[in-house]
Amino acid sequence: MKLVLQLSLRNILRNRRRNIMLFAAIAVAVAGVSSMNTLIRGFQMDMMDSAVANLTGHYKVHAPGYRDDPSIQRSFQLTQDFTPDFPAADVLGWAPRVRIPAVIMSERETRGVQLVGVDPQAEAISFLGDVPLQGEPLRDVDDGRVLIGKELARQLETRIGRRLVIITQGADGLNRERGFRIAGIYDAEGTGLEKVFVFSGLRPLQDLLDSDAVTEVSVRLVDEAPGLQVRNVLTELFIDLDVKDWQELEPQAAAMYLFADGAIYIWFILMMSALTFGLVNTLVASVMERVKELGMLRALGMGKLLVVSQVVVESSIIMAIGVMVGLVGGYLIFLLISDGLDLSAFAEGVEMAGMSSVLIPVLQWSDFFLVAYLSLILGVLASLYPAWRAVKVDPLEAMRR
Amino acid sequence: MSEPVVECIQVRKTYQQEAVPVYALRGVDIQIHQGDFASLSGPSGSGKSTLLNMIGGLDRPDEGEVIVAGTQLSGLSESELAHLRLHKIGFVFQAYNLIPVLSALENVEFILQLQGVGGIQRRQRAQQALESLGLADMAGRRPGELSGGQQQRVAIARAIVTNPALLLADEPTANLDSGTTEELLTLLKHLNQQQGMTIVTATHDPMVMQFTSRRVKLLDGAIAHDEQPVTA
Amino acid sequence: MLMTDRAFNQSAPAPSATPVLGAAGRDLRFGWLLFALAWRNLWRNRRRTWLTIGGIAFAVWFLIFARSMQTGTFDIMIDNGARLLPGHLQIQHPNYAEDSTVANSFHTAEAAETLADLSVAQGLLHVSARAQGFALVSVGERSFGAQVIGVEPEIEVQWSGLAAMTRTGRYLAAPGEAVMGVVLARNLGLSVGDEFVLLGTASEGGIAALSSRLVGVFNTGNHALNRAVLQVHLDDFRDAWAMHPAEAHAMVGVANSVTGSEHIAAQLSAALPELAVLNWQDLMPEAQQTRDMKAVSTELLFYVIAIIVGFSVVTTFMMMVFERTQEMGVMIAIGMRPGFIRLQLQIEAMYVAVVGVLSGGTIAALLSLALRGNGIPVPGDMAEIYAQYNIPGRIVPEFDTNAAWSASLLMLIGVQVAAFIPALRIGRLSPVEAIRNES
Repeated sequence: MKLVLQLSLRNILRNRRRNIMLFAAIAVAVAGVSSMNTLIRGFQMDMMDSAVANLTGHYKVHAPGYRDDPSIQRSFQLTQDFTPDFPAADVLGWAPRVRIPAVIMSERETRGVQLVGVDPQAEAISFLGDVPLQGEPLRDVDDGRVLIGKELARQLETRIGRRLVIITQGADGLNRERGFRIAGIYDAEGTGLEKVFVFSGLRPLQDLLDSDAVTEVSVRLVDEAPGLQVRNVLTELFIDLDVKDWQELEPQAAAMYLFADGAIYIWFILMMSALTFGLVNTLVASVMERVKELGMLRALGMGKLLVVSQVVVESSIIMAIGVMVGLVGGYLIFLLISDGLDLSAFAEGVEMAGMSSVLIPVLQWSDFFLVAYLSLILGVLASLYPAWRAVKVDPLEAMRR
Repeated sequence: MSEPVVECIQVRKTYQQEAVPVYALRGVDIQIHQGDFASLSGPSGSGKSTLLNMIGGLDRPDEGEVIVAGTQLSGLSESELAHLRLHKIGFVFQAYNLIPVLSALENVEFILQLQGVGGIQRRQRAQQALESLGLADMAGRRPGELSGGQQQRVAIARAIVTNPALLLADEPTANLDSGTTEELLTLLKHLNQQQGMTIVTATHDPMVMQFTSRRVKLLDGAIAHDEQPVTA
Repeated sequence: MLMTDRAFNQSAPAPSATPVLGAAGRDLRFGWLLFALAWRNLWRNRRRTWLTIGGIAFAVWFLIFARSMQTGTFDIMIDNGARLLPGHLQIQHPNYAEDSTVANSFHTAEAAETLADLSVAQGLLHVSARAQGFALVSVGERSFGAQVIGVEPEIEVQWSGLAAMTRTGRYLAAPGEAVMGVVLARNLGLSVGDEFVLLGTASEGGIAALSSRLVGVFNTGNHALNRAVLQVHLDDFRDAWAMHPAEAHAMVGVANSVTGSEHIAAQLSAALPELAVLNWQDLMPEAQQTRDMKAVSTELLFYVIAIIVGFSVVTTFMMMVFERTQEMGVMIAIGMRPGFIRLQLQIEAMYVAVVGVLSGGTIAALLSLALRGNGIPVPGDMAEIYAQYNIPGRIVPEFDTNAAWSASLLMLIGVQVAAFIPALRIGRLSPVEAIRNES
């Protein structure tokens, strides 16, 4: 084996200039795939983050039937000092909310919105926690003012400090109407959120509706991975209620998320296909150039298996070197763009897809390993035809040439 | 006596081989005259190939002067040298003489084409050259379909088709068996005697030397022995 | 070939006195042989040449095919998106886009006339007027807000996606009727045949009230439409919102093709300077930007593939130069100038690129031809997302000529550059060493 390794290495060194080109091609492919992976992962994380931060959370608890009929009638009680017993390290936080459809009116215009009663302290887990804001945020759970989106404010032709009338349905099924003063206007980068969500303190909203219940509890995890335990805790805590994860709640975002997983493989396959032409070409050439030598080795008694393994090892070494250079390149590209790629030129399309306009790449080492691993397999596969050519060499014929 | 076809004056050439200077030629003086059939021989490293390359304008001396057909080579640029080689000198090499993707006829035509000879004339001259060397039947074959001896004959056809002042042959028989070697040498001798072609060949094959009328022996980069024929 | 050669002979300048200039005159006549030499040399190693061509063909195929898939998809997506609700073009009051209040309406007579003039000649299929505003939809004690659109149902039924996607009941046909999105109906607890009330703000600050009957429920796969859109008869809307019977908020046009609609919109713009004419890009900016974004990522992928293929072309030409070193040495020795050998390599590169580009283009063309009938089905999960973007579940590629040109041009140039690098070596080739080169 050591001999095979040595022979292969020497052969690679023998054609340094040519192999440098090959390394470069492999490295470009690998760097391209791996840096693209970080962007795809970034896109995925962004998709998930905005799906999760759009008040969804990783998990959400609803009363049964709420999703078909989102009203305060489909709600549930939380005990006064409710503190769920989560594995603390896994959970970023949780938030109780009342979320119901409502009609909002300014002096001039009327719109339909989702009215959300929140505990502002708990909303660090949603986009509300860090959204840019004009005016004041909601102080606490008792704040009787509202926050509205920039776009809605424009449509309603209103501004901070003005009053809005909100009509919605109370616990008894009758309409309630109340004036709310605008505390602040949030800027969610022009996303649809701005038109949809109006926030107020949880308590005043419950008072308006004559209820002390909530319609949902949203839970955000630190990392998605250990979600199952949290889910179990939730199902035990909220017997008879619906516990759903974000993939069930946002099936389109989830499908997009899965599709991005596939995109990683599609990129890999396309790049590596392009690479295979050059790789096979070079390997065959390297065999054909050595026909004499291989013939002599065969004449000296070198077994077919040894000949095959020589070619396969040579290919693997070439691939391994190229992959290493490529991964380093991919990592450098990642560092270069780690501040994020500004997609603002395409922002509207991007935001429609549920992303913010700056795409921040996310490095997952497992993706790097995957690329390396698949490339090495490809290296072996690409060497099979050249190896077959090498075995086919007839010792006598070869030496006579 | 007329002006020599080739004149070398104090030609020196040194190669650096891994920091050790190798003296390939140490001040060679030689004149080749119209109608000479000269062999340059000597052990490997004696400088015979280097001298032949100098005469052919493929290599430049460090010192000294080479004059071919009245032209001082030292004053020429690369492309002027190429022009001189194309028009004044015919070359036959040991191997890889012919362009493998061209037929025998096309190989001969090729050099005329380089000279810019027009279509019909070019074809006629190439065909004549092949015929004169007994290769008329082989005109359409590619080098790979010819024997080694035939290939060298095509190479000679290519070398003489331009009517060069000088034919240089570097180990032309090295890859041939003795029978074919004799045929080829007979051919060269015939060219020399019938057409007055000046031929210089570098060789270490004693058989070649038997055929040549002037035998120059080199040793360690200098002429050790120059056996001139008794000119009439 | 001989013809060409003779032609060159005639046009070549007379031999000049100096050898160098003489050489220049010769060069012209030498042309055809280089092409023949290059072509034959290429096929000395068929497998290698085909592999190199294969890489080039792959890159070209990829860009054309990916673009063709996208062009096919996006044309349909835009068309479907337009036909879902906004139409291919709209004429509006110049202030309406910025300030969509009921008061920003316009008199439709002039626009209708201009549209009628255009319709026959330009392939404008349907034109109708719309009035729209926001209203509170109430049933008993329940109220939800919704966008109310007053339409001319006898025209819109012919093209509207909402009409096609009315799954329960039927599309509206007469005054007094309404259709709404499935989520809105569910939130209100309404089923087909039920009555409900609309309350909105009319132009002068007055109250607009309308009682209507639900005749159909549409389900579009677009959540916003399902949740908050409702259509009534245009006459009902004008009555309730106290609009002049000749006024509207939009004239909506649907053409026989997306591209055709762009031309119509441009002409309308010129013909109606007092009104705002919106084309599909204005109506659906996100559709255009989605298209651009996809195109950019495809292009990026193509460039990386092109670079990879470029390296393999460099490798191939390195091998060719390497293998032919001795031969090239002989050629230089007998008087061929290195420049010509390099030129010959560039010609070989051109052949490789041309064959590669042609085969890649042909495969892409054949593939899109073969898929023209059925298209490629979109896998289940994606189909759902596609539905949201109004992309059909089957992708039918539309051969993209622009992509074909740009891919071909880029590969032709790229391969020349790739061959140029190894060919540089020939310039430095010393014939003596080249001929002596063993291996």
